[in-house]
Amino acid sequence: MEEFERELRQALERRPAPPGLKRRLMAQRDANVARGGWRAWLGKAGYGRGWATATAALLLLAMAGGGVRWELDRRQEERNGEAAREQVLTALRITGHALNQVQTRLAEHDRQAREGER
Amino acid sequence: MNRRGIAFRLGALAMAVGMLTAAARAQEGLPLAPEVEKQLAAKANDVTEVTLGKNMLEFAAKFMKGSDADEAQAKKLIQGLKGIYVREYTFDKEGDYSMEQLQQLRAYFETAEWSPVVRERERKSGETTDVLMKVVNGETQGMFILSAEPKELTIVLILGPIRPEDLGELRGIGGLGSLGSLGGVQHTPKGKKGGTE
Repeated sequence: MEEFERELRQALERRPAPPGLKRRLMAQRDANVARGGWRAWLGKAGYGRGWATATAALLLLAMAGGGVRWELDRRQEERNGEAAREQVLTALRITGHALNQVQTRLAEHDRQAREGER
Repeated sequence: MNRRGIAFRLGALAMAVGMLTAAARAQEGLPLAPEVEKQLAAKANDVTEVTLGKNMLEFAAKFMKGSDADEAQAKKLIQGLKGIYVREYTFDKEGDYSMEQLQQLRAYFETAEWSPVVRERERKSGETTDVLMKVVNGETQGMFILSAEPKELTIVLILGPIRPEDLGELRGIGGLGSLGSLGGVQHTPKGKKGGTE
């Protein structure tokens, strides 16, 4: 019995960790993280698989939203461009109409002047 | 901060915004709408207003179809312009606008750089026509048309390099071809009573 107690005491005796154990363990963990890619990194950061899936889904959603927004902006710009084009053509039509009136009046004036000369 | 201080700052802010807006419009090279325009618009039965600055003209040019000959020509025409400013008023009855109002519009262009090309007054019908060109260093840099009929008034102001022969090629858009031949017209007033001035 005394022998058993002695062995037990020896086994439970507090011994200091071998020098460099902590450093080796940390290096090993970092190597595991490096090998494991983003999942290991997320794991290290405290995020599990659920978080990774949610983040990926959000990213996809943001990309899709960006695409839709870009398309809507493009269509809006096209509508604005068409409106601007119409305005230019309207302005040129009015200009043309005014110039036609000028031409008509000048022609009429010349006709009257010629008749007056006769 | 007391109330007077806040009111002063708000007033200063409003003034700054107003000045910036005016500066922006001046940069576009378009005139500020005179009071007479508001009066005309208020009386008119039908008003068409088109104001296009340089940026808007460049933007519109991107959407003009090169396949259509008229549009291609219009695109070429507007590309160098600083602005197009058009007003067309249609009135219900004669006398809805006065000669004084027309004179106020003309006065805006009574400067050395604007030369009258056509100036016509028909006393019988009450029709008047003014065409002025802005000439800088021998180049046409603008055109102003004021065409007044008893029930219709048209104001056109085009700013920027403009070549009458370019406009002359625009046969399909509202008879713009007429300007091509107008380019050489120097209709000087003859002082004829009751007719052309």
